Amino acid sequence: MLCPGGLGSSQARGDETEVVNSKFLKILLVVLFISLSVFSCKGKPKKSSLPRLGTAAFDFNCYDLRGRTWRLNEVRSKVLLLRFWNDGCPSCRVEMPVIEAYYRRLKSEGFMVLAVNVRQSAAVAEAFTAQLDITFPVLLDSDGKMAQRYGVYAVPTSFLIDRQGIIQKIFVGEVFKEEKFLRDLLKHYFPR
Amino acid sequence: MKFISKIIPILLAVLIFPFGLGFGGPEKPDDETLRYKGQLLSIRWDPLTQSPLIMRGIDTHLMELKNFSKLSREEVTHTGPQLVSKYQSLLQIGPDQLKLKGAEKISDTWYVSYWQTFQGVILYESSLGFSIDSRGRIKSLGALIYPKVRAPVTPKISHEKALKIGQDQIKDFEKLRCRLVAESILIYPVRKANSVDYYWVYAFNFFPEEALHPATTEGGWAVFVDSQTGKVVLFEILMKPLGCCVPEDWVPPKPEEMRPKW
Repeated sequence: MLCPGGLGSSQARGDETEVVNSKFLKILLVVLFISLSVFSCKGKPKKSSLPRLGTAAFDFNCYDLRGRTWRLNEVRSKVLLLRFWNDGCPSCRVEMPVIEAYYRRLKSEGFMVLAVNVRQSAAVAEAFTAQLDITFPVLLDSDGKMAQRYGVYAVPTSFLIDRQGIIQKIFVGEVFKEEKFLRDLLKHYFPR
Repeated sequence: MKFISKIIPILLAVLIFPFGLGFGGPEKPDDETLRYKGQLLSIRWDPLTQSPLIMRGIDTHLMELKNFSKLSREEVTHTGPQLVSKYQSLLQIGPDQLKLKGAEKISDTWYVSYWQTFQGVILYESSLGFSIDSRGRIKSLGALIYPKVRAPVTPKISHEKALKIGQDQIKDFEKLRCRLVAESILIYPVRKANSVDYYWVYAFNFFPEEALHPATTEGGWAVFVDSQTGKVVLFEILMKPLGCCVPEDWVPPKPEEMRPKW
């Protein structure tokens, strides 16, 4: 059980991304119980690179749990929260109900959530979705390619994409547990 | 012609009769509405394990807890075993097979989830969970459970040997100054087209030293070594799991405590 120092500190990754790393040390220690995303090759893992803020979001073509295909173009007129998650990540679980509440409240005004399960089976994603009464679409990135394209190196990672398809914010780690954070974030797009 | 007209009904009977009696195979439909102890339920079955993936009460709740607002967190966490007891013949696992994964109150709703265990060992990626609204009502549950686990309970290879096998999977283990960050034993269910294979595994997480720094974007590796054969049954590159919600009082178990109690 070796963990060098410095893990407990939060650290921003440049000024582009808000990285929340509270209790990172503890999380690493229980990581075995966390189902994790994969890029199945041996050797040193590749370094990821998140897209830059203010750039166009990558298009994607991904099935959801109902078998419907989603592409970025289909939601371009909406404010999109594109969230990468997996079942074992504790904060993924805790934040989903908060996001769901805002989705229900604002979907008629153009707020869209696509929750992308990374590298897990449909059964895992379906059970998770039912446990949390999630109604927004849950996409299956079974080979991890979509996550790779978006430079996702940790879960949860969320991208806020505006109505023009431009990435406005990237959040790595837990940020939405406090409802106020999401409320303030969305206030800019949904002033009422 | 007479022969054909006689033979056709016989052929039809031979073909249809077995299915009518249920000989057509045990597969249940994915979605089913059924009555269970007088209660109407909607169930989505896992076609592979024949266990419920989603279960909802129709017109009724699965369970309603009395004096819910007065229940402590610990009492709330006992709800899962109660629910499993109530629907045991549908879920096909026992209440003693649950191990608490998490219980969080968000707004007025509790979200409670569990792992399934077998002989006290957690099944990887298993889950059973539900929400409880402010009035103590559980409307539905979601589960990924394995009722018919068949796994050995005695390892044939030692922990030390398994660890060596795990380390050997990583190229440049020493050069990257890899650390064993976590280890456990798990039942690893491998879902195949028509069946599930169960492996009792030593599970190791290794991270290169530089990947342990929170600002880096590198991950580590998970290696699952079969306790019977020493075969590596899973090798994955890990993403960093970020966030919180490990209970404040959580203390990392010692490796010897993580071994099964038999």
